[in-house]
Amino acid sequence: MGETVVEESEELATPGDVLGRAAEVKPGRGAYLASHNNLVYASLTGRVRTVAPPPGSPDKRPTVEVIGHKAHGAVPEPGSVVIARVTKVLSRMASADILCVGPKSVREKFTGIIRQQDVRATEIDKVDMHSSFLPGDIVRAIVLSLGDARAYYLSTAKNELGVVSAESTAGATMVPVSWTEMQCPLTGQNEKRKELN
Amino acid sequence: MEYVSPEGLRIDGRRPMEMRKLQAEIGVVAKADGSAVFEMGNTKVIAAVYGPREVQNRSQQLSDQALVRCEYSMANFSTGDRMRKPKGDRRSTEISLVIRQTMEACILTQLMPRSQIDIYVQVLQADGGTRSACINAATLALADAGIPMRDFVTSCSAGYLNSTPLLDLNYVEDSAGGPDVTVGILPKLDKVTLLQMDAKLPLDIFENVMQLAVEGCKAIADYIREVLSENTKQLEYRRGL
Repeated sequence: MGETVVEESEELATPGDVLGRAAEVKPGRGAYLASHNNLVYASLTGRVRTVAPPPGSPDKRPTVEVIGHKAHGAVPEPGSVVIARVTKVLSRMASADILCVGPKSVREKFTGIIRQQDVRATEIDKVDMHSSFLPGDIVRAIVLSLGDARAYYLSTAKNELGVVSAESTAGATMVPVSWTEMQCPLTGQNEKRKELN
Repeated sequence: MEYVSPEGLRIDGRRPMEMRKLQAEIGVVAKADGSAVFEMGNTKVIAAVYGPREVQNRSQQLSDQALVRCEYSMANFSTGDRMRKPKGDRRSTEISLVIRQTMEACILTQLMPRSQIDIYVQVLQADGGTRSACINAATLALADAGIPMRDFVTSCSAGYLNSTPLLDLNYVEDSAGGPDVTVGILPKLDKVTLLQMDAKLPLDIFENVMQLAVEGCKAIADYIREVLSENTKQLEYRRGL
């Protein structure tokens, strides 16, 4: 992956400041293009940063961004890997609270649903939800889509997705033994989960 | 009653084209995503912004843009006589709607679909021009919260008493019964987002009064820009940059 040249200027921009013409710069995060006069304006308060275009791209314009000081919480996007805690398990789906998106934790909770057909990649009609997840499990899943009004649609249908950590009925953190089972260190009992490899 | 003396001084000693003293502070409410206190003379207003966050009432959710809500209220102690109903009366509802529409025009709502931005403004001390002070405070609070905006919205009022256009009316001049023009603009883009007037004015005088208010708005915009730049520099200094 080539190095992108980033240049941070001493300029402080506030909303409404002109950053350049549309023919010369592309608006990035914190900037927007006003269509009526083709100028790029800042939309946040912060330092102006110019990112050179990637070497192979046809568009030779640098991207201008404004780095604000307030960090917003992460929001799940389709295709992002999330960590979620399972709250409810029903016969055809499991409900989970999304805790982290990628490496960042979220500021306020988002709800996700793992449907029966999205638990694993093979034999998707024979999935038993209660042998895959139990309430309280921490799972790594991928966001399929924004879903309906109530929840995001999540999927664990890949080798690297599934239950990351779970508590056994005895109360100890279980250790994975295969991709379908986890073992409790205290009692030695195996419990069924959709594990990741 | 005489509102402009023969020497050209108003009741509080200002010149007709002079605005009251401006003072602003950012980040006063720690729990809010953004907050600001804005003072124009004796009028003091506090604004707090929460958002963008998940919509609390699912039925009001907009799939392609953010929902902007605004609530204006006056503290019981803000005017001389203790107020009996500071929220929910007609004037507060109207001003809440006005502020919401004004701020919605400048926030880039399409960047935050299915989310909600709450703006709460409360008047701590009322001495005329509360509407304008609220809009200025809301702009500062939104900028502090890092919500992307097209430009600032600044607002100022102007009136016409004793045949003189006056900038930034205080309570006594406002209650005189003369016309009161409130203007809200996007200063860099040079667009008007709010224009209200009560009482009547002939068209040519109205143009003068409105132009005066627009100049007042631009002066407030310069001040707001300075306050935000200073605040950003302070934050960077504290982070050790």
